[in-house]
Amino acid sequence: MQVIVNMASDLFTFLVGGKAGEGVKTAAGSAAELFSEMGRHVFQMDDYQSLIRGGHNYSLVSSDIEPIWSHHMRADLIVCLDQKSYDVHKDHVSDRGLVVLNEGAVEGEGAFVPLIKEARKYPKPELRLGLGAFTVLCAAMGMPEDDLKRILEREYPKDKEVNLAYGLSIYHATSESVGQRFDPRPGTFKGSRILTGNEAIALGAASAGLDVYYAYPMTPSSSILHYLAAHDRDLGVEVVHAESEIAVINMAIGSTFAGARAMIGTSGGGFALMDEAISLAGMVESPILSILSSRPGPSTGVPTYTAQADLDFALGRGFGEFPQIVASPGTVEEAFYLASEMLDLVWRFQTPGILLTEKHLSESAMNVKLDVERASYPQPLMHTSGEYRRYTLTDNGISPLLFPPSPHMIKWNSYEHDEAGITTEDAGTIKKMADKRLTKEKALIRHLIGMRTVNTYGDGPVIMTYGSTTMSVMEALRISGIEAKVLQPVYLRPFPVWEMKAFTKERPVVVEQSCSGMFARLLREKAGITASHVIRRYDGRPFDPKELSERLKEVI
Amino acid sequence: MYDLSTLASNTWCVGCGDFGIFQAIKDAIKRLEGLGIGRDRLIMTAGIGCHGKIFDYLALSGFYSLHGRAVSTAQGIKIANPDLSVICFEGDGSAFGEGIEHMIFAAKRNIDVTVFLHHNSVYGLTTGQASPLSDKGFRGRSTPRGSQDPPLDPVTLMLDSGASFIARGYTAKLPQLTDVMVKAILHKGFSFVDILQPCVTFNNTYAKYAPIVEDLDRPASTREEAWLIAQRKDKVPLGVIYGSKEAPWERQVPKGGQMSKDERHKRIRSLLGA
Repeated sequence: MQVIVNMASDLFTFLVGGKAGEGVKTAAGSAAELFSEMGRHVFQMDDYQSLIRGGHNYSLVSSDIEPIWSHHMRADLIVCLDQKSYDVHKDHVSDRGLVVLNEGAVEGEGAFVPLIKEARKYPKPELRLGLGAFTVLCAAMGMPEDDLKRILEREYPKDKEVNLAYGLSIYHATSESVGQRFDPRPGTFKGSRILTGNEAIALGAASAGLDVYYAYPMTPSSSILHYLAAHDRDLGVEVVHAESEIAVINMAIGSTFAGARAMIGTSGGGFALMDEAISLAGMVESPILSILSSRPGPSTGVPTYTAQADLDFALGRGFGEFPQIVASPGTVEEAFYLASEMLDLVWRFQTPGILLTEKHLSESAMNVKLDVERASYPQPLMHTSGEYRRYTLTDNGISPLLFPPSPHMIKWNSYEHDEAGITTEDAGTIKKMADKRLTKEKALIRHLIGMRTVNTYGDGPVIMTYGSTTMSVMEALRISGIEAKVLQPVYLRPFPVWEMKAFTKERPVVVEQSCSGMFARLLREKAGITASHVIRRYDGRPFDPKELSERLKEVI
Repeated sequence: MYDLSTLASNTWCVGCGDFGIFQAIKDAIKRLEGLGIGRDRLIMTAGIGCHGKIFDYLALSGFYSLHGRAVSTAQGIKIANPDLSVICFEGDGSAFGEGIEHMIFAAKRNIDVTVFLHHNSVYGLTTGQASPLSDKGFRGRSTPRGSQDPPLDPVTLMLDSGASFIARGYTAKLPQLTDVMVKAILHKGFSFVDILQPCVTFNNTYAKYAPIVEDLDRPASTREEAWLIAQRKDKVPLGVIYGSKEAPWERQVPKGGQMSKDERHKRIRSLLGA
C-alpha cells in the first residue's frame, strides 16, 4: 500500500512523544538529519518540561522541499511511546496520517508496534524507545534495510550492536504493518547543516572573534554554554561557568578591559541580577554583549517554554543614561549573522548590547547554509600614538581603546570620571561626560541608518512582528497562500523609526507572544503605528502555523 | 614611565590606615620592578568605599569596579590575559558583605589574583555603620544599641575556601606590609592579605592593636596549622600565615588573540561541514 500524504504540498511532519529519558529529542534529531540529507528543508521543535524523568515530552520535525519556517502541530506520522502522548496527540494526525502505538504500553487506535516489548530483551529498555520510534519512521518511508543499518550506526554510535539488533527487530515488526506508507520527495537543498538558534548564536559570535563566554546555567540559554564548552578548543573560546549571574557579567566586563571579546548568556531572572553591571558597562564604556533568551515569566515562570514578554525589560535595562543596542533575530540563519553584527556594534560603540531571543528560536533547529565570511568582525577604534586618556572627548563620543600591558595608564572607572578616568564630582566634567555618552548614541543611530535594521518580506496588507514569531508568521502565510507584507524590525533599540515612520498610516496586524501586546505598544510609542488587530499567544507554546493562518484570515 | 602617584587630591582622613597601604603598595611595586614585574603588567581593581579611593591616587592601570564586585572584575581581567598580574583592593563591605560569594569562589578556584583587604571593621565612606567584620556589640549608626552578631573571620574563611596564600599586615608596620604584598603578588594562585587598617574617624583601633600584634616566626606548613594561627584570640599574628604550591585555575584554551581570524573561520567552516 502506498499513500502519498499532503497532496497539496510536500510538507511532511513526524511527531514522537514520550516520557523524559526515553530519547524523544534524539529520535527527532535523527529524523531531522534524515530529511536534511534528502535535500529537504527541516524545522524541529522540542516541547519538553523542566524535569529529568517522566512527564510528557514531544518533538516535531516538519520538512518540505521548499523553505520551511516552522514545525506543524498536524503530523503525518505520530509515534506514541506512552499513553499521555496518545491522549494529547491523537487528534493531531493529518487526514491520511498514521498513529503508531507502543504495544503493551499504550491503548488506542492505530498501528501497534512492539517498541517496549522488543526493548525489554536488552538492558535499559526505556532508553532505547527513541531509537525504536526513529526506526518506525524509516520503515514507514520504505527505507531499505541496509540504509537503515548505516543510519542507525551513525545516529546511535554508543552500544552499537545492541542498538542495531533492537532497531532491526522494530524494522521487521513495523514493515508488516506500516512499511512504505509514506514517500516524501527528495529536495535540492543539499550541503546544509542543522543548527539550533543557540548554536547559531554561539557560532556567529565565534566567527566575530569571541574570546571568552561566561554563563550561569539557565534555560533556555544554557545550550549556548553547553555548545561552546563542548567546542572550546576547536573554536578558541574560553568558557567559564561562574558562581552567579552577577559574577558572570562582572567577570565578562573585566575581560573586555583586557581586550577580550566577551559575551554572556542568560534568561530573564539571571539578566535581572546583572542589571547593576549593565549600568556599569554603560559608564565604563565596556563592549559587552548579552544574550537574553526569554521564557514565560514573571519570576521562575515556565522554564522550558517560550514567550516574548521580556521586550519591555530588554529595552529598559540599567539605571542612568547611556546608549544601548537591542536586536532580535527572526530565524536561525539570522541569529548567526546578528550575533556577529552585535559583537561588532558593541565594540564599535563601546557600550552594552542585548541580543533578545526566545526559547522558540534558541532551542528549535533548522537546516541552514551559513557563509562564515559574511559574518562581521569587530575592529574597534584603537589608540595609535601620543598621550593616552581612556575617555578622550571626540566629535562622535567614541574614545580610542588601549589594552594592558601598556606603558600608558589605562583607567576604566564606574564613578563619573574625567578624560583620564579619574573620579570627578566637578559639575562641568559631569555634564561633558553625559554629553559624550549622548553623542555616542547619536553616532550609533547614524550608523544604524546605514544598515539593514528592518526585514521586509512579500507584499500586500501589512503584518508586523519580530523575533521568533517572524517564523510562525512566514510559515502561516506560506501554507495558506495569504498575500501580505511582513515587516520585522530586527533592531529594537535604538528603534528604527527612520524606516518604520513610512508605515505610520498603515493599520497593520501585529503578531506577538505577549499577553499585554508589548510589541504593538512599542510600535505605537516609537513610530505612531496603531495596529488594527493584535494576534497574541501567551500559553508558552509557539504559534501553530495552521492556527495562525486561520486567525490571520479573520482579520486580513 | 609615569610616577606612581596621580595628581588627584587625596581625601582620606589624616592618620587613616589607607595612607599606609598606599605607601606600602608603591614600595612593593618598585621592588617588583626590580624582580622583573613591570608596572605595565600590574593591573589594579578596587571596590567602592574609602579603600577604593586608592584607585584614583595610584598611577596604575585598572578598573574602579562596583561595590562587591572588584574581585570578579579582577578575575575577568586575569582570565582574558593570564600574563597580567592582577591586584584587587577591597574593603570590609565590598569583600565580605556585598561580595562574599565572589571572594569564596575566587579562593575556591585558587585563581592567580591578589586581594588586599583594608580591614577596618567599619563602613567608613557611608559614615560609620557596622561591617561584617565589626566586633559584637559595635555601636554604629545602623546599630545604636550595639551589633548583635559576631564578626566573620576573613583569614579562616579564605583558608577554608581554598586560598593558597594567606598573610596579615598592619598599616603601622610598613616594611612588613610591603614585604607581605610583594610575596602575595609573586605567589601563583589566590592570595589574600588581611591588612589591619584603623579608621581614625569611625573605628580607631591603633590602641587596640598595639599590644596584641605579634610577628610570626615562619608560615604554617599545613592548612591545619594555619587554621590554629587564625584562631588565636590572645594575639593577632602578622606576616605570611600560609603559602602552598597548589595548582591555580588555568584557562582551557590558549589565550585569545592567538587564533587568527582566518584560522577561526576555517575551524567554524569545518564544524559546519562546509
